[in-house]
Amino acid sequence: MFPTPIARTAPWVQRIYKWLLPVALVLWLLPLIGIAVTSIRPSSDLAAGNYFGWPSGFNFIENYSTVFENSNIGWYILNSFKVTIPTVVGAVGLSCLTGYALAVYKFRSNLIVFFMFVAGNFVPFQILAIPVRNLTLSLGMYNTTTGLVMFHVAFQTGFCTLFMRNFIKGLPFALIESARVEGVSEWKIFWHIVMPLMRPAIAALSVLIFTFIWNDYFWATVMAQSADVRPVTAGMNELKGQWKVAWELIAAASIIAALPPVAMFFLMQKHFIAGLTLGATKG
Amino acid sequence: MATVTLRNARKSFGSVNIIKGVDLDIADGEFCVFVGPSGCGKSTLLRMIAGLEDITSGSLQIGGREMADVEPADRGVAMVFQSYALYPHMTVRENVGFGLKMTGHSKADIEKRTERAASMLQLGPLMDRKPSQLSGGQRQRVAIGRAIVREPDVFLFDEPLSNLDAALRVQMRIEIGKLHNDLKSTMIYVTHDQVEAMTMADKIVVLHGGIIEQVGSPLELYHRPRNMFVAGFIGSPKMNFIPVTVQAARDGNVMLSLPGDGRMTIPMKGDLPAAGTRLTLGCRPEHVAIGKEAAASGALQGTIRVAEYLGSETMFYASLADGTEIAVKGDGLAAQKSGDILPLSLPAAACHLFDAQSNAILNGDLTR
Ligand SMILES: Nc1ncnc2c1ncn2[C@@H]1O[C@H](COP(=O)(O)OP(=O)(O)OP(=O)(O)O)[C@@H](O)[C@H]1O
Ligand SMILES: [Mg+2]
Repeated sequence: MFPTPIARTAPWVQRIYKWLLPVALVLWLLPLIGIAVTSIRPSSDLAAGNYFGWPSGFNFIENYSTVFENSNIGWYILNSFKVTIPTVVGAVGLSCLTGYALAVYKFRSNLIVFFMFVAGNFVPFQILAIPVRNLTLSLGMYNTTTGLVMFHVAFQTGFCTLFMRNFIKGLPFALIESARVEGVSEWKIFWHIVMPLMRPAIAALSVLIFTFIWNDYFWATVMAQSADVRPVTAGMNELKGQWKVAWELIAAASIIAALPPVAMFFLMQKHFIAGLTLGATKG
Repeated sequence: MATVTLRNARKSFGSVNIIKGVDLDIADGEFCVFVGPSGCGKSTLLRMIAGLEDITSGSLQIGGREMADVEPADRGVAMVFQSYALYPHMTVRENVGFGLKMTGHSKADIEKRTERAASMLQLGPLMDRKPSQLSGGQRQRVAIGRAIVREPDVFLFDEPLSNLDAALRVQMRIEIGKLHNDLKSTMIYVTHDQVEAMTMADKIVVLHGGIIEQVGSPLELYHRPRNMFVAGFIGSPKMNFIPVTVQAARDGNVMLSLPGDGRMTIPMKGDLPAAGTRLTLGCRPEHVAIGKEAAASGALQGTIRVAEYLGSETMFYASLADGTEIAVKGDGLAAQKSGDILPLSLPAAACHLFDAQSNAILNGDLTR
């Protein structure tokens, strides 16, 4: 087997592995640990310049409750859900259809259309910020949840289509042909045969897109201004305070904001990893 | 019940011609087997009949009805795929009834037909399992059951047994034969397996490079091949081909010189070839005689290269004076071994003669 399982390597390799793995892990998690520790420091620590040392006290309850008192974080989290869930449903639902069409039907511009979906992913979205903002303004969708959802769906559908098309291509085509010979209509083939088999792909993609959209900061700031609409990533700004930045509160808010995707990851870990590898191997 | 008729049917993928003009009549209730080397277009022809591939030109009729614009579902055909194509998320019962359910059959009707197919194929105890919980042979039966419930006029099978082990193949072969007897519908069956073709077929179609080489009953193809391709393709081990030259030809006999110094005379009908013509003589391994009478005739000698003692028979692979390889089937008690000189003789009645250029058969019809 390649790579050789650690359990079967030489003892010295195993020893090094056992030492290096935790070290690498801690290094990798250092920023996260930093945020987590900051979120329970008293603000005096930060004022005194004790950024990285041992906290002088543990203000867990105080800091976290202040976040809820001083800001509308609950509201922002609700906003995040209001943007994320429709986007996931929209983008995944649409890409089931586009992916199916591109994978199953042979029509002349099939490949061109597919490449357009793929190519869209290579446009750096920063250069789209101003045109998109102008477009949303003239469509009357600036600063609305609908606007955010619509644009997220539009931007995510390219990747989702790539993912779904490749997944459906990997299904045995004989299933579809067999159903056709049996006289099953195309819609019913899609609904009764392909959709059930796509369930793992749908789960994987939903988890991926959920995290992408939840963690989005860029479009949230470009396309929304008011607190009514802003999702939690952008809304946290409110905690910055007038004269000095309350880092301990921002850190606490970040941790709170990160909880839903982290929970999602742990609940659906299997699908999440499947999602990453599905995309990678069925290319 | 239906006949299947192809007239000058062609299929090309882009600029590549795959099926190059096929004319074929399959009678109602006939068991027709397509054989041919890999890539010759057997599956493509079958898929054209099923409606999964468009016909580039020519015509296809099923039951006398032109099929060019008829959807696969409306052709009255059912197809069993090599991979079985069972719906993995449905139980056996759902798999079998799915097509009927989707095309609006009543529940009672579906149940009745499913039960009948199940009892015919002994699927009873498997009905609530998923395909992943079935063995290869059981999956195969489910795939056939799914075809049966549609009560098609024509069954299409694309190498349905190729994924099964030898024992199961024999069993399934017999079951499909029984099924054909019970249902009496037209069946078209693609296979690689000689034995399947010979035992199951009413009619064998030998395809090669997108054209039909010969159509006929199994024994017709075996004993009266139309050309060297069919002669070499049907039968295992393969027919021996030996280069010969015509010495003289008169009174319905041709005298041939064989590799080495041997000669033999073969009776022949029709126009006789001129002296000096080079021909190919074909003789099946089981017809080549060895032993005393062969030694007496002195026609041919081979040096044994490999001897396979199979108990019931012995296969000798020998080379003739000019290096031609020849296979000979001897009886199980034959004692000759590798390196020995093997006296051979070719019974005139079992010899085919092929024109060296056109490969057309000149003589040799063992069914006379
Ligand atoms: N969709 C396609 N596009 C292009 N060429 C194709 C297509 N399908 C089949 N072919 C070609 O047509 C030829 C015949 O294929 P086909 O599958 O009918 O062979 P076959 O006789 O069934 O072979 P096998 O015994 O290996 O199954 C092959 O050379 C194949 O490469
Ligand atoms: Mg094939």
